[in-house]
Amino acid sequence: MFDDRTINVQAQKRAIRVLGLVLACCLISAVVGVPMVEAATQKTPPSYNYSYWNEAVPAPAAYQATEIITGNTLGTGQLLEPNDLHVTEDQTVYILDSGNHRVIVTDHQFQVLRIVDSFMNDGQVDRFQQPLGLFVNDEGHLYVADTGNHRIVQLAPDGSLVQIVDTPESDLLPANFVFQPARLVVDLAGRIYVMAIGVFDGFMEFNADGTFTTFIGANRVQVDPIEYIWKRLSTREQRSQMVQFTPTEFTNLDIDEEGFIYATNGDEWGDNIKKLNAHGTDILRRNGYFSPGGDIVYYINDGPPRLIDIDVADREIYSVLDAKQGRIFTYNGDGFLMYVFGGKGNLIGEFHTPVAIERIGDDFLVLDKALGEITVFKPTEYGQILNEAVRSYYEGDEERSSALFRRAADLNANLEYAYDGIGKSLLRQGEYKEAVHYFRQAMDRLNYSKAYLLYRKQVMREIFPTMMTCLLIFIVVYFTVRKVVNLRGRKKGVPIEME
Amino acid sequence: MRWNKEWIRFPFYLTVHPYKAYWELKYERDQKTNLWTSLIILAALSFTMILSSQYSGFLVNYKDPRELNSLMEIVYVVVPVLFFCIANWSLTTLMDGEGKFVEIFISTCFALLPLIVINLPWIWLSNFISMEETAFYYVSNSIATLWFLYLLFVGNMTVQQFTASKTILTLFLTAIAMGFMAFLCLLFFSLIQQIAGFVVTIYQELVFRT
Repeated sequence: MFDDRTINVQAQKRAIRVLGLVLACCLISAVVGVPMVEAATQKTPPSYNYSYWNEAVPAPAAYQATEIITGNTLGTGQLLEPNDLHVTEDQTVYILDSGNHRVIVTDHQFQVLRIVDSFMNDGQVDRFQQPLGLFVNDEGHLYVADTGNHRIVQLAPDGSLVQIVDTPESDLLPANFVFQPARLVVDLAGRIYVMAIGVFDGFMEFNADGTFTTFIGANRVQVDPIEYIWKRLSTREQRSQMVQFTPTEFTNLDIDEEGFIYATNGDEWGDNIKKLNAHGTDILRRNGYFSPGGDIVYYINDGPPRLIDIDVADREIYSVLDAKQGRIFTYNGDGFLMYVFGGKGNLIGEFHTPVAIERIGDDFLVLDKALGEITVFKPTEYGQILNEAVRSYYEGDEERSSALFRRAADLNANLEYAYDGIGKSLLRQGEYKEAVHYFRQAMDRLNYSKAYLLYRKQVMREIFPTMMTCLLIFIVVYFTVRKVVNLRGRKKGVPIEME
Repeated sequence: MRWNKEWIRFPFYLTVHPYKAYWELKYERDQKTNLWTSLIILAALSFTMILSSQYSGFLVNYKDPRELNSLMEIVYVVVPVLFFCIANWSLTTLMDGEGKFVEIFISTCFALLPLIVINLPWIWLSNFISMEETAFYYVSNSIATLWFLYLLFVGNMTVQQFTASKTILTLFLTAIAMGFMAFLCLLFFSLIQQIAGFVVTIYQELVFRT
C-alpha cells in the first residue's frame, strides 16, 4: 500500500513536471515564434555523424571490429572484472585484471610478456586488492591505483617497488578521509594526478615523491532547476532527507604529450569533457558545430550520455566512451566530431559494459568489464583518410589535408567538416570564389566571411575600371546632351528675348 | 474609389510625424481606406518576413531552409498582431480608453511600417556583407524595432486618448494579457487534443474488439 502510494506520488510528480515543461516550451515557442524542437524522436542510423543542424546523418563506418581478445586467447585464464587499460608509446598493452588482482602485460599482438600480481615490499610479498586504475609512464614505471588497499603503488620496469603512496595527510582533507584512488595519470615531471572515489574537489595532485600537494580542476555544482524548486518548497525536515547538491565527480582522465589533463565527468548538461592546464582551468576548444560530449540527440528515457573514459591520441585527437550507449566518439582538437562507432549488443563490435578505451596506433581497444574481453577495432579506408586528413591539417600540410578531405567528402557527402578543410586550403591558394562556396557548404560563417571579403575585393578590383569608364561616359553624355538642349533652347529663346 | 497618391504618402508621413498623423488617422481620414491600407501593410510585413527567412545573407540567416514554411511565417506575423489588438482592446475598454477595435488594429498596423522599410532592403544587402559588417544589420534591425515600439506607443496614446504614463501601463499589461491568452489557447488546444485522442482510442478499441 505504502509502496503503491510512493510510486503514485512519484508518477504524479513526474507527470506534473513533464506537463509543466511541455507547457513552458509551447508558451515560449508560441511567444518567440520559434518552431518547437523535436526532442530526440528520430532513430539514429547504424553509423552516423551529427550535422550542423544537430541531426544524426548517416556516415560510413570509420572503424570495424576485427578481433576479440579474452583471457583464454591470452592464455592467462578468464579476466575477472577488468577495469583499466593502458598502451605505452612502444605499443605495450597493460590490462588491469581487477577481479584477479593482477596486471597483464602484452605486446601489440597480444602475446603475454609478463603478469604482475605481487611485488616485494620490505622483504615481504605484497599484493594488490581490487585495483581500479593503472598508468605507465615513458620510463616504463607502472603506477597502480590499489583501491582496496587505499594506496598507490609505483613499480619499476623490473617489477621492484619504487614507492607506495598511502592515505595523504593534509589540512585540505577531512580527518576521517578514506583514500580510494580509482584512476590516475602521471605527467612528465612525475607528478601523480589521482581521481579518488568520494572526492568532489577535483583531482588530487601528488608530487613525484608521493606527497599530497593540492586539488585541481574541481567541477562546478550543477543544480537541476526543478529539483531546486522542490527543495525550496519543502520543509527543513524534508530537505534534510534529500540529496545534497554536490559537484559532480570526474569519471576518468588521461594526459596528452604536452602534459594537459583531459577529463570526463558525469554532468548531465554542461561540459562533460574538460582539458585542464596546470592551474586546473578548462582550455578545451569547442569550435565544432556543437560542444563535444557524446550524443546530442537521445531518447528522453535513456537520458544524456554518461562518459566514463577518455583517450588522447596524437595531434590533439581525443576519444570518449559513453557507457550508456556503448559508443565511442572521436573529436579533433577544435572540437569537431570525426566519427562514432560501437554500441551495445551481442554482435562483434558491440559491448555489454564497456569501461575503458585506448588507442594502439590507429587501432582502438575497448575493454568490456562484464564480459572480460577486449575488442580490437581497425580503421576502415574512410576512417584512415579522416585520421590522416586531420593530422595533416594539424601539421599545416594544407595541400595534403585538402586532398584527403576531398576523398573523405567523396565517401561521405554529409561530412560538413570535410568541406571546411577543403575551403581552408582553397582560401590559402587564393581561390576565393570556390572557398566561399565550400565554407557555405560547411556552414562555417567565420571563414565564409574571410573568404567573402577577399572575393568581394577581387571582384571590385576587376569591375572597377569598367564601372568608372561607364560612369565617365555617362557624365560626358549627360553634359553634352544638356548643352545641346540648352543651345537649342537659347536659339529659340533669343528672338523671344529680343521682342 | 479613385487612385490617390496620398494613400502611399500618408503611411510614410505617419512614421516621421506620428503625433499629427495618428490624430488625422483617427479623426479626419476615411476609416475604410485606413483599414485597407493597414491590411496591405500587414501583408507586406508577412511578405518581408518570408523573403527575409529565405533570401537573407548566409551570415545573418540562421534558419534551417528545410523547415521554412511561408504559411507559418504569415501566422507568426498575423497572430501576434491580432493577439495584441484583442488584449489591448479588452484592457482599454475596462480602462476608459476611447479606441474602437478597428482603430486599435489600424494604429497597430501602421506602426509596423518601419519594420518593412528598414528590413526589406537589408534582405538584399545582407548578401554582400562580411562578419564585421553584420553589426550594421543588427543595429538597423534594432532601430526598426525601437521605431516600431515608439509608433505603437504614440498610436495607442492617440487612439485611446490616454496620458503617456497610462499608455505605458496599458502596454505593459497588454503584454501580460497576451501571455495569458497564449497560455489559455494552448491549454484549450491541448485539452481538445486529449479529448480527440480519447475518442480515437475508444473507436480503435471498439474496432479491434469486434
